[in-house]
Amino acid sequence: MNCQRVQEGFIDYQTGSLPAAEATELRAHLASCPVCQKEWAALQEISRKLDQLPSETPSPRLSEQFYAMLETHRREADSLSPFAFARSRLDRFFETLLPSRPATQFAFAFILLVAGLLAGARFLRPPVNPPINSLDQAELAALRAKVDSMGRLVTYSLLQQRSTSERIQDVLATMNLARPDRKVLTDLVGALAFDPSVNVRLSAVEALSAHANDQLVRAGVLSALPRETAPLVQVAMIELLATVRDPSCAPVLIRLSREETADRDVRDAARRALAVLRTPSPSGISPNAQLNQPKPTLT
Amino acid sequence: MTVAVPQFRVYPCAKAVNLPPAPVDTPSDHELMIAVRAGEINRLGELFERHNRPLYGFFVRLTNQPAASEDLVQMVFYRILKYRHTYRDEGLFSAWIYHLARKVAADYFRKNSAVPAATDPAELTAQPDPAPAPADRAAKDDDLEFLRIALARLPLDQREVLVLSRLQNVEHREIARLLDCSVGAVKVRVHRALKELREVYFKLRHERHAT
Repeated sequence: MNCQRVQEGFIDYQTGSLPAAEATELRAHLASCPVCQKEWAALQEISRKLDQLPSETPSPRLSEQFYAMLETHRREADSLSPFAFARSRLDRFFETLLPSRPATQFAFAFILLVAGLLAGARFLRPPVNPPINSLDQAELAALRAKVDSMGRLVTYSLLQQRSTSERIQDVLATMNLARPDRKVLTDLVGALAFDPSVNVRLSAVEALSAHANDQLVRAGVLSALPRETAPLVQVAMIELLATVRDPSCAPVLIRLSREETADRDVRDAARRALAVLRTPSPSGISPNAQLNQPKPTLT
Repeated sequence: MTVAVPQFRVYPCAKAVNLPPAPVDTPSDHELMIAVRAGEINRLGELFERHNRPLYGFFVRLTNQPAASEDLVQMVFYRILKYRHTYRDEGLFSAWIYHLARKVAADYFRKNSAVPAATDPAELTAQPDPAPAPADRAAKDDDLEFLRIALARLPLDQREVLVLSRLQNVEHREIARLLDCSVGAVKVRVHRALKELREVYFKLRHERHAT
């Protein structure tokens, strides 16, 4: 045993925790090694002195302060809120009721699960899908049909979509027909009402003006007029209505002539048209009256 | 040359310096702490009676500030109350209380950032020792006074390990857990600290006798 190892064992030797065999070896070494003897003696001396160091005693203040703090805490704990009190009671209740060991907890949970499954299988009936009302079914079918037809319509109109110039060509082509059928007139009124292009709408007005005497045409123009946004088309429409002197269009014209937001040309045209409406036609019978009144039947 | 008979003494595992031998039916620290945790706050009084003096000694040796040490002891017991729910069933009360005490001491040193471990002798003489001056004591106390000063001059980590192992009689195993190191490392530190203490002590005595 060398000196370093012996000195490493000093602390354990001092506390008596060195194994007996090593302690014997250490003693043997100490008996023969003056260096280690000196070291050991020094260690023992300072240890003894440390042992003699009196223990410090706190003043009574410490005790007083501690018990004051304890009292404060106790009072706080006593004045526990009723909720916390109920909570702690509840916790304690479940603590006594439920198992505390994990294995038992697991078993308990498993038993609960099995019991729940059995009870469910025993007492619950499988859910039955409620029968669908025949009325609902009919409604559903109708809706489905409507959606289908709408889809077809959209496809159709997409197919119908053609360029502006082509649409104008179509409109102008109708002007060559001396006696267009109702389908053609309906198409023209539709173009006037819905075509996105101003030029097409203007051409439509132009084409329709040849057939202004037709009740269908007048009604179509009249209904499209309030929706129209382009002043140019509006003026053309007003002029068309003025030429046929239809009194039924007076309210629309009055509204237009007074509308502040409308274009000035439009208002002027409306006013002019109203003036024309008020002056009796040279024939004395308005074309409207002529058309509306059934022809006297010969008796 | 005479061979000095090596003397050795065996430290009892728990030297009952501060507390009388406990009767059999006296609850252990652990049982008391479990009761405190369960809400019997008054039982903390018993724990206080058992531990306030050792704890106070620990803080006095560590900080050299008797007045502040009382506050620190109070702080430890305050934290025991505050964190009583964190005390674990398998916990060792003495380990826990020293764990809290070390944290309290660390907080104290941080706040009074000038660490009182005045290793510079010049600085130490500038600070009057709070205890009565050595000259005021009886001659037989002189040696102990030197020892106290020597202990105060040790670096904080050496002083701590000495106070824990030799004055508080905390087991090496427990100190190792507290300081988060191996038992062997604790023994080495204790040995080194004892050697250092002895050197400082003899230097002090030598200076004293020289004057």
